[in-house]
Amino acid sequence: MSATHQLETMTIETSNQCMTAAAAKALLQQGLSCQVNSDLPPQFQVGDLVRARVVHPATYTRLPRYVRGKVGTVMQDHGVYVFPDTVGQLLATKPQHVYSVRFPAQALWGPAAPASDALYLDLFDDHLEGP
Amino acid sequence: MNGPHDLGGMQGLGAIPIEENEPVFHSAWEAKVFAMSFATFSTFFPVDETRHAAERIPAGEYLSASYYERWLAALELLLTEHGWLTPAEIEDRITHLRQTES
Repeated sequence: MSATHQLETMTIETSNQCMTAAAAKALLQQGLSCQVNSDLPPQFQVGDLVRARVVHPATYTRLPRYVRGKVGTVMQDHGVYVFPDTVGQLLATKPQHVYSVRFPAQALWGPAAPASDALYLDLFDDHLEGP
Repeated sequence: MNGPHDLGGMQGLGAIPIEENEPVFHSAWEAKVFAMSFATFSTFFPVDETRHAAERIPAGEYLSASYYERWLAALELLLTEHGWLTPAEIEDRITHLRQTES
């Protein structure tokens, strides 16, 4: 996947071209897919226990504060997507797997939370580590 | 960043107001801000950069601003940071519009 490797190291440049009305309508109606066609291997498998990394970047991140350091279970692998945390800084698309990770509500909010509740968060490889 | 946008678990913010038959835009300027911001999505700024720009609004202002006030602040921040406009040009335009519209 040489194309993917190029993307990983490329600083993001935008077209800086004015959007046409037709392009705006298409973007509004169809949205913009951030999925990447890649055979990049996943770092985690469905069923794995994972820990959300304890990090406090001053830059953009999709990793909420309340989940950092908490352990959850990988429920689904959504596929490979560009990484918003680096795209937001115009650094790199850094494609990687995104997973639906299940955190029991009590693991996040303590014993006062209903035992049967859980939170499912979409998190990227770079947000996660082994338990 | 650990900004005011990351509200999960915060307490004391009060109830979320739910409007009946909430309109898409509450006034015409909101639609204009949406259109201007949308026109920059992916062509001038990746959406994630726009989101981060909103997060960089000072926390006190962020929490008291309305949704599209945040969009406008983010757009002005990115347009000036990238050198497409100067803060003085924005102020001049505001002054001009205020004079011609009154």
